[in-house]
Amino acid sequence: MSYTGRCACGKVTLQIGAAPLTTRQCWCRQCQALAAGGATNNAIFPAEAVRIDGPLAASTWQAASGNTLTFHFCPACGTQVYAQSSARPTMKTVRFGVIDQPHDLAPQAVIWTDDAPAWAVFDPALERFARQPPAPAPSPPTVSQG
Amino acid sequence: MGHGGRCACGAITLHLAGEVLGTAQCWCRQCQRSAAGSCTTNAVFLTDTVTITGTPGTYESRSAAGNTVTRNFCPHCGTHLFGMNSAVPHLIAVSFGVIDQPHDLAPKKVIWAEEAPAWAVLDPAIEHMARQTPGERA
Repeated sequence: MSYTGRCACGKVTLQIGAAPLTTRQCWCRQCQALAAGGATNNAIFPAEAVRIDGPLAASTWQAASGNTLTFHFCPACGTQVYAQSSARPTMKTVRFGVIDQPHDLAPQAVIWTDDAPAWAVFDPALERFARQPPAPAPSPPTVSQG
Repeated sequence: MGHGGRCACGAITLHLAGEVLGTAQCWCRQCQRSAAGSCTTNAVFLTDTVTITGTPGTYESRSAAGNTVTRNFCPHCGTHLFGMNSAVPHLIAVSFGVIDQPHDLAPKKVIWAEEAPAWAVLDPAIEHMARQTPGERA
């Protein structure tokens, strides 16, 4: 499984050589700022599988857990590229917006529904978490054969 | 009357003194990049009713109609702040993401639905347009 990606202006490019550990749609209030009022839609990859070229800028916020979330964006166009939790240095949370389409990614869970605006519509087929769910397992789930 | 607003890091603040002329969610591919994979959700104001404190970064792209769309973002945190279209310089589309909550705004239509990803859930209670609203941004 592999993906490519780029920011809106093309100065930042991504090459991702693994399947995501999980995918999530996050409605926390801070994500709404970064997602132009909606939810961020994210694919969490093993950090070593994500190669990013081009200059990035970063800012941080403190998560409800007390962890520091560093979010990286293209300084030339503002596109959010990925986020990194201080608690999970082995994972990178890549924004769906930078991953080249078509791709097979879709959110697998909706998180921080507590913070979602009243007008938000959730996919009824997805698992929901009122706040933060547990971190994904560090390696992709194995599919049993036969 | 009026709304306040700020980016994620607080380096840029907004004062929205005027009436909201319309609200919409835009799923065009460019907006998905600006919105971390979601649609942008925007409230349209008269440009001269909006006061911005701080200096945004800008990124220009060409709309499907051939106009210049200028996206303004915070250079310190990347937060998308607002968009402008060269065809309608008197209007400014402010991201819901920077408008202080609580507020009573909600999107009233969905545009560029044809570019939404397969997983997107569009509110069945509001109008959907496959592409751009006719005439609104020419």
